[in-house]
Amino acid sequence: MIDDIVDKITMLLQGKIPSKIDTEKLDNENECEFSKKLNQLIDFMQEIHEFIIPLSKGELHDIKVQPGNYLASPFKELHSRLVHLTWQATQVAKGDYEQRVDFMGDFSEAFNAMIIALDQNEKLLKKKIDELEKAIFHIVKLEGILPICANCKRIRLEGAPYDKQESWVQIESYISNRTKAEFSHGICPDCIKKLYSD
Amino acid sequence: MFKEERNFNRFTWKDLGDINEGRPNLGLTVPVFAYRLLQYTFRDVLITELGIEKTNDIIVRAGKLAGAQFCMNLLNRELDFNEFVAQLQRVLREQTIGILRIEKADIENMNFTLTVAEDLDCSGLPFTDEVVCNYDEGFIAGILEAYTGKLFSAKEIDCWASGDRVCRFDVREVRTDK
Repeated sequence: MIDDIVDKITMLLQGKIPSKIDTEKLDNENECEFSKKLNQLIDFMQEIHEFIIPLSKGELHDIKVQPGNYLASPFKELHSRLVHLTWQATQVAKGDYEQRVDFMGDFSEAFNAMIIALDQNEKLLKKKIDELEKAIFHIVKLEGILPICANCKRIRLEGAPYDKQESWVQIESYISNRTKAEFSHGICPDCIKKLYSD
Repeated sequence: MFKEERNFNRFTWKDLGDINEGRPNLGLTVPVFAYRLLQYTFRDVLITELGIEKTNDIIVRAGKLAGAQFCMNLLNRELDFNEFVAQLQRVLREQTIGILRIEKADIENMNFTLTVAEDLDCSGLPFTDEVVCNYDEGFIAGILEAYTGKLFSAKEIDCWASGDRVCRFDVREVRTDK
């Protein structure tokens, strides 16, 4: 009897699940009681075994430990936290950056920092896209045929009446208002000759 | 006000009074054992007077009242669901009521699985193979009822007291057939 028990406990210590003791065959009351407790321990360890192996592979669903298996409690807690983290990660994937992981030590810190960084990066990206869209809008405004005065080179504003002088603006003003370009004034060699030929 | 005969609930947040004014020296908080003393002595007496089923029902209903008032007075109900959950988690943590963790949220069918760790009701209780967080059940349902305007039921499926080290609730909308 003792040898059998030692073998079973040795197996448990080695992470193996031994067969249970047949208590029906025992006459001694103490041995019977002890064997029932050992059988319960074997049941608990088997259940933990069947729970923790899929869990270690990331299989979080369809695994359960029956109530009353207190040895498995920390594993159930771990399972619960992993399920919660899975939900959190799914939310982040959907673009929900409101969630935070609480009280999970270093993991909380790393995960929350990741969410904040993703949020900031997305906001930065959206800002850049917005700026680019605005730039494209201005570029588009400079496309097409511009009505320009053949003599003074003023440009007529879009939709403005042809015969009103205020409809016509300097080309520098026209371009400056539609782009980020600025003008600095100088005189080209041909014009210098014309203006200062003497 | 607190003691008149009536057959309807009239509790509101202002019934809690001005705690800052009333407890200038001792402050807003009390140890968790004071909360548990209140709840578990009430439970003890109610069971002897009314039986377990009625007692549980009363505690759930009281929790619902509390949850609804909590939501209406401490939470922004205008937020969308994800923002609301994040807010609820934050407020429960800040008020040291518990650590909320969502495991599943099916918004379309209004069905949620969530856990509350380090909760006031049961964390650290002796193992008894029972789920005991009836007040939390009501509290959670009450919060969601106040937020959505729909009827909710929260059922505890794992509990510290049943050896699970965390309290897990199955929460779903109660749909009545017309």
